[in-house]
Amino acid sequence: MLQCIFLLSDSGEVMLEKQLTGHRVDRSICSWYWDHAISQGDQQLAPVIASPTHYLFQIVREGITFLACTQVEMPPLMGIEFLCRVADVLSDYLGGLNEDVVKDNFVIVYDLLDEMIDNGFPLTTEPNILREMITPPNIVSKVLSVVTGNSSNVSDTLPGATASCVPWRTTDRKYTNNEVYVDLVEEMDAIINREGILVKCEIYGEVQVNSQLSGLPDLTLSFVNPNILDDVRFHPCVRFRPWESHQILSFVPPDGQFKLMSYRVKKLKAAPIYVKPQLTSDSGTCRLSVLVGVRNDPGKIIDSVTVKFQLPPCVLSADLTSNCGTVNILTNKSCTWSIGRIPKDKAPSMSGTLVLEAGLEHLHVLPTFQVAFRIMGIALSGLQIDKLDLKNLPNRPYKGFRALTRAGQFEVRS
Amino acid sequence: MAPPAQSHRSPSPSQPSGKGEVSDLKSQLRQLAGSRAPGVDDSKRELFKKVISYMTIGIDVSSLFGEMVMCSATSDIVLKKMCYLYVGNYAKVNPDLALLTINFLQRDCKDQDPMIRGLALRSLCSLRVANLVEYLVGPLGSGLKDSNSYVRMVAVIGVLKLYHISSSTCMDADFPAILKHLMLNDPDTQVLANCLSALQEIWTAEASKSEEASRERDALLSKPVIYYLLNRIKEFSEWPQCLVLELVAKYVPSDSNEIFDIMNLLEDRLQHANGAVVLATIKVFLQLTLSMTDVHQQVYERIKAPLLTLVSSGSPEQSYAVLSHLHLLVMRAPVLFSSDYKHFYCQYNESFYVKKLKLEMLTVVANESNTYEIVTELCEYAANVDIPIARESIRAVGKIALQQYDVNAIVDRLLQFLEMEKDYVTAETLVLVKDLLRKYPQWSQDCIAVVGNISSKNVQEPKAKAALIWMLGEYSQDMQDAPYILESLAENWDDEHSPEVRLHLLTAVMKCFFKRPPETQKALGAALAAGLGDFHQDVHDRALFYYRLLQFNVSTAERVVNPPKQAVSVFADSQSSEIKDRIFDEFNSLSVVYQKIIVFQCSRSRPMTRTSS
Repeated sequence: MLQCIFLLSDSGEVMLEKQLTGHRVDRSICSWYWDHAISQGDQQLAPVIASPTHYLFQIVREGITFLACTQVEMPPLMGIEFLCRVADVLSDYLGGLNEDVVKDNFVIVYDLLDEMIDNGFPLTTEPNILREMITPPNIVSKVLSVVTGNSSNVSDTLPGATASCVPWRTTDRKYTNNEVYVDLVEEMDAIINREGILVKCEIYGEVQVNSQLSGLPDLTLSFVNPNILDDVRFHPCVRFRPWESHQILSFVPPDGQFKLMSYRVKKLKAAPIYVKPQLTSDSGTCRLSVLVGVRNDPGKIIDSVTVKFQLPPCVLSADLTSNCGTVNILTNKSCTWSIGRIPKDKAPSMSGTLVLEAGLEHLHVLPTFQVAFRIMGIALSGLQIDKLDLKNLPNRPYKGFRALTRAGQFEVRS
Repeated sequence: MAPPAQSHRSPSPSQPSGKGEVSDLKSQLRQLAGSRAPGVDDSKRELFKKVISYMTIGIDVSSLFGEMVMCSATSDIVLKKMCYLYVGNYAKVNPDLALLTINFLQRDCKDQDPMIRGLALRSLCSLRVANLVEYLVGPLGSGLKDSNSYVRMVAVIGVLKLYHISSSTCMDADFPAILKHLMLNDPDTQVLANCLSALQEIWTAEASKSEEASRERDALLSKPVIYYLLNRIKEFSEWPQCLVLELVAKYVPSDSNEIFDIMNLLEDRLQHANGAVVLATIKVFLQLTLSMTDVHQQVYERIKAPLLTLVSSGSPEQSYAVLSHLHLLVMRAPVLFSSDYKHFYCQYNESFYVKKLKLEMLTVVANESNTYEIVTELCEYAANVDIPIARESIRAVGKIALQQYDVNAIVDRLLQFLEMEKDYVTAETLVLVKDLLRKYPQWSQDCIAVVGNISSKNVQEPKAKAALIWMLGEYSQDMQDAPYILESLAENWDDEHSPEVRLHLLTAVMKCFFKRPPETQKALGAALAAGLGDFHQDVHDRALFYYRLLQFNVSTAERVVNPPKQAVSVFADSQSSEIKDRIFDEFNSLSVVYQKIIVFQCSRSRPMTRTSS
């Protein structure tokens, strides 16, 4: 089980130390870790490292390193998932993560860790329950504390949910306007190879729900075409049987924002846009041109289109212009072409010349183009919500549905 | 889902000592200690916060212990919490002063508010001072019977903490028996889970001392307990589920019906949002079916999709950890994953570790139907900016070529690599072409034509140079310039520093000599002379051996140097199937992720002692 958790700033300073068991972990482990991290240079560290004395779990979020130590064998994902949850909860509580915000609120961080893990074993990481035990330091409570002179962050009642049979929800939520929003958020991962062939294309999607409903509502969500889903994962609130027999999501939702389901759809046949890079080298210079356009019109506007790539080290200088959007080249030779919305009347293109290192005739190392885009109003996997039924509610709630697809790891090789 | 940008790291800064500030705080706390003025709690809170922040950045504030305890007589819960935190941190070094805190902690354990009761009990058990254990027994006993589940949950873990401070006190108070009763009867699953984890630790530690304890430990794995836990598994929150699943993985069912029952019950756990639960479930499935070959195969089919989804969701850290486990399974049963090869394609943003795992998986899943596509993909990496990955992928192409029957397309690709004129690509490819020719001598014509065009001056890496020289010797009758290239290499003996290359050069010159004597004579003389004068023992010995062999009998020498060769059919495999079976002992353990799988090391030594925490 975990013996200690450290939070390190981006300069390696220990911002927080939480000993979890009787086996005290000396702080020197942090300097060992930091030296190790430096010795690895730019390379990303593995999430589990064996140090001479401990196994270390580490994740980095917004420059903050979450480090946990153990000396005994344990399931690796237990450590990693737990640290990820800690990071999520903290960022939720503190409204983002950075060094200052952690240092200003370290008492709350200690309070939270106290409830999240005891004696090295994770207890509650469910944000809804934590929020009832420890009030987030938001503006409301700040104002309240000035007015009432009581700045306690610890709520004086225990959450009802710790005793209820629906551990992710309290029974006594009350809203005047009952609302529930369901968002389909999809990310398209794709690889397009040198010949322009779509080698791999799949979608990772999430059904995100924001529920503001009174009492203990019972929801049923169904899809028009659930059979396209390759694999699904559920929030603990989802009942398994209805899904197994009828592909219906039946659940009592937690309060607020949560991820109801995540899914994967493989073997998609088409990407919504095309990106065609072309490189031709001749006696020390290389001509680069990139064309971008809509391929299979999804019927909605494609915006926030950017194309990013790293120029190979052997390129001395680059002169690139585009007929649409802006091209930025940083000193580390990373280029970003921000197109924004693809115009209807013309196809965006970028072209220019790259000057190669002396002695090089041809460019042998070819860049990979990473493409980003966003399409509002459509889930590109084709998944469609059929209907959402609500039971156990006093009055008719407002139901909202949205869909969004963006590029995940969408790369085009040249 | 992009990996987090690594910040520029600098060596860790030295921490301030803060002596002056500590004594300042001390006097301020003294002033406040007895005060009952309005608003005193607020000023205390500021001071406490300062103390804790010093403690956090590593300044020793243990000297304030007395003052902190004096200030702790308060009803303010925030102050209490900060005080508990402080006391928990320093009680161990101040056992005498810790006695002072017992009083107010014990009082808080009887507070009306269950939250305060729980917090106080948790802090009391976290003091970890051996001579205070007598004060723990009472509050723990009543905590275990508390009407509120939060307090019971804290008390159960408190018992475990007590056990680690003083096992005899814990056993004398008969706490394990109470925990066992709670585990089988408490309505709250978190209490139940804590009982389970506490009992596991206590009985395991006690097992060596008493037979009864070892019976109790085994009883946790008995059918009634396992079924009791399994039937309630959906009520547990995610982390206790992992605990239960780990226990179930150790359970040995009596017959196959039981195995199917358990798997049916747990099947939906594969869809859980928490990766730790999914992996723990997979481990149960794999363990249960180890002896049922065909069911075991079906399990693989069933767990494939959840694993692949886990890899593509979540943070880079999570997906790497899952990928390591997937790697383990793919290496064991590549055939079952051969249609999923596209999942192992590398993406530009992934870290070196991830790409390396993926390349290994691509290599083993290659079969007749997907080789063409896999090799096409690997060839794209060879032009990658990332040089280590480019090298790895060329090696991967070579490995695939060696395990396939139809290597036609692959050889063409390898030869194209040689035309890329990148020194590291050329170097890696030469080594591979050499291995390939040993297995597939029929390709020599095509390869030699291309290899002959490579100037040895462009090859610097010893391994690659040795490979090139080997080919010059082996195929000297087909390569027009072979004797002259070897001659110039032999004449510039001193420019070559690697003994490996020198050894190969000696042998190649000998081989060449028997095939084209008149042209090679000069080279042979130069090489033998240089070799005899070499400082490296092996080089010297080989030169001497060849020299004497030639002196003894030329035709014997030819038989020794150029015997008729058989194509190598199989290169030695590094893993035996028996070792692959032992993988399951380690599935869902840390070693899988930090890549030092114990079974793959020669000596099976535990990296660290298994202390119980």
